[in-house]
Amino acid sequence: MKKMAFIAALFGVLALAAPAQAARVEVQWWHAMSGVLGERLNELVEKFNASQDKYTVVAVAKGNYDEVTNGVIAAYRAKRPPEMVQIAERGYMTMLLSGAVVPVQELLDQKGYKVDFSDFIKPVASFWSYKGRMSAMPFNSSTPIFWYNKDHFQKAGFDKPAATWQELEMQLYAIKAKGVSECGTVLPGDFFWSLLENYSAINNQPYGTLANGFDGLGTEFVYNKTKVVSQVARLKKWLDDGVMQIAGQGFSPEQLFTSGRCSTFVNSTASHGNIERNAKINWSATFLPHENDINPPLNSTIGGGAIWVMKGHTPERYDAVAAFLDFVAQAETQVWWHGVTGYVPATNKAYGLARERGYYKDHPTREIAVLQLSRGTPNDNSRGFRFGNFVQTMLAQRSEVEAVFTSQKQPQQAMDDAVKRGNEILRQFEKLNAGKGTEWAPEAK
Amino acid sequence: MKAGSPIATSSIWPEAPAAPPSGLARSQHKSPGETVAGRSAVTERAGRARTTKRGQPDREPGLKRANFGRGAGLPTLLLLPQVLILVFFFFIPSLRALTQSVLLSDPFGTTVHFVWFDNFKALFASGEYRQSLVTTAWFTVAQNVITLAIAVVLAFATDRVVRARSVYRTLILLPYAIAPAIAGILWAFLFNPVVGPLAHMLHGLGISWDPNRNPNDALWLVIMAASWKHICYDYIFLVVGLLAVPVSLMEAAAVDGAGPVRRFFLIALPMLGPTIFFLAVMNFIYGFFETFAIIDAVTHGGPAGATNILVYKVFVDGFINLDLGSSAAQSVLLMSFALICTLLQFRYFDHKVNYGV
Repeated sequence: MKKMAFIAALFGVLALAAPAQAARVEVQWWHAMSGVLGERLNELVEKFNASQDKYTVVAVAKGNYDEVTNGVIAAYRAKRPPEMVQIAERGYMTMLLSGAVVPVQELLDQKGYKVDFSDFIKPVASFWSYKGRMSAMPFNSSTPIFWYNKDHFQKAGFDKPAATWQELEMQLYAIKAKGVSECGTVLPGDFFWSLLENYSAINNQPYGTLANGFDGLGTEFVYNKTKVVSQVARLKKWLDDGVMQIAGQGFSPEQLFTSGRCSTFVNSTASHGNIERNAKINWSATFLPHENDINPPLNSTIGGGAIWVMKGHTPERYDAVAAFLDFVAQAETQVWWHGVTGYVPATNKAYGLARERGYYKDHPTREIAVLQLSRGTPNDNSRGFRFGNFVQTMLAQRSEVEAVFTSQKQPQQAMDDAVKRGNEILRQFEKLNAGKGTEWAPEAK
Repeated sequence: MKAGSPIATSSIWPEAPAAPPSGLARSQHKSPGETVAGRSAVTERAGRARTTKRGQPDREPGLKRANFGRGAGLPTLLLLPQVLILVFFFFIPSLRALTQSVLLSDPFGTTVHFVWFDNFKALFASGEYRQSLVTTAWFTVAQNVITLAIAVVLAFATDRVVRARSVYRTLILLPYAIAPAIAGILWAFLFNPVVGPLAHMLHGLGISWDPNRNPNDALWLVIMAASWKHICYDYIFLVVGLLAVPVSLMEAAAVDGAGPVRRFFLIALPMLGPTIFFLAVMNFIYGFFETFAIIDAVTHGGPAGATNILVYKVFVDGFINLDLGSSAAQSVLLMSFALICTLLQFRYFDHKVNYGV
């Protein structure tokens, strides 16, 4: 009897709820945020849903970025894609030339939303736009910064980490020599991003031809002829001398820093939430170092994800999508997201708002990423990276750098091989995508 | 007792009725009175065994040939689930892999070029793929040998454990219940050169253990992890196989003065031939196809591709790099390697295996 009553009640509730929901247009957003970030994302979506009564965004966690990408590919091939999907920065060219997405700026224009894309922080805007038009909505943008253990530096007799790699090296060796800590720094899991790619941008080194790929698919890697080679040699030397440690699998580099074992750590500004919660040490953060013969250093570049809009849905659904993207771009949303996650605010307006409210007085390290991203004017070397199959070329490069760490190859040899492998991958992408992307420049038609 | 006496099968499992005396008999082989009890408890099986020995197994209905009555209806119905599973989870995916392997396509499938065998040619020209082949060969062979060797020792020991035998067996079977990814993380942590307790032990012994910077260490680590995960599988089959070794033969050997180790190697092991052959094939298949979760958790295929075995490369190229054509070509090749390997094993080792008794 109880069961029957329960079922009857359930139907009753459904019957009541159905008409109320039918009035709202529902759209899906697949994302890759887990843990605390996932909870914050859900809050963001709830805020949007509560802010109006026409649309409902349903956020669906689909695993990590790779799983989300594979999920959306499978869904698109089965002709049932979600309306929106969050894709990591390395997937940019794949998404852009997929023929499966709707340009975000055009969609917002068409639906009458006035989002001022010229106000976006430059490396953020340049990374996610193609031929001057925004192709995806920047959502979670980060950049690597330099974290350090204040106590270790003070004990070794330093105020703070030096601004150049050369001086920093002396500091780290001193910290070890004085017995303050046996591990000066830890190799980041994404060292290719922070210590090679961002290193190249900050130190004004070209990574590939044709303005790092911004000027065409014919781009070729050239980092085997730049300071990247000596950077790899430096990392290898630090490893050999025990100044740098590798956390390895089964353990995260971040834990080596937050536990007070390693004195410094290069990692994304997005790890603010984790480090604030887990660190039992007196920590702080500063800008990434630069080479002593490069002055002034340029801006760093972004990592993270953006929201792409998928093709194949009804106009009503795109109304909902446009309304949500407009909500995401608003300064208030950006300030809130910046505050609760550590990702950078995407617009100058949002950054100004956070500053005005004295947010950085209490959280000085959260401003570093914004300042580092927005210093100077981005040039061809620091605008960002536009390489096809960028995940694949990165994995080939990582493997070659590891061959240096395992003493199987000299740095120059390894970078030559990495560039050779990378260029083969780029040529395959070029072959597959030649002549695509014209839909992104409507004025050129 | 003579070696030619009727063959009796006994059980080393305590639950079986004949077990206590015979189990005791094996561990205390110098008490002939007990062995007689062991034999008499299983004499009803002797008849069947004798006929097989003559090479004319009886054709009792229901034993060697299933009898489902007339018509093809019921057999078809009973076969259907298995056939459907094969069609949907093997034949259709295999066909798709075959077609994909001669295509160059973007992940979303909007552009597709037919490229003949370019994907295969690119693979054979790639040093990375050749390295992966060599790594896979080392990995599967070492994993196979280690798994079998340890499982044989443990199975042999099971026979000699008298007290708490079920606890012992359960403990050995436990790793099978652990998901490969979890097992991988466990091994990665235990042998992590910075924080792992076992790594510290190795360092204490003067061994410079570092799987992050030494390719051989990394390869050994994944071999050990993969073997550890699979020992229990081999162990179950070997323990059951040992049950089928006639007690009378063992006893005869004991009477002739052979010690337990000698009896094991000269009598039990040769009689386990079919089981070991089967397990060797299964271990290869396990090593080829089912170890990628362990690799992913322990090393990510690194350092510098040192543990990048074929199946892990298929996963990375297909799932992470979205290079579907190459990934499909690799899975086609991997499947052919596994097939060739299995066929070779049957061709060269099958006839050496003693299926008698």
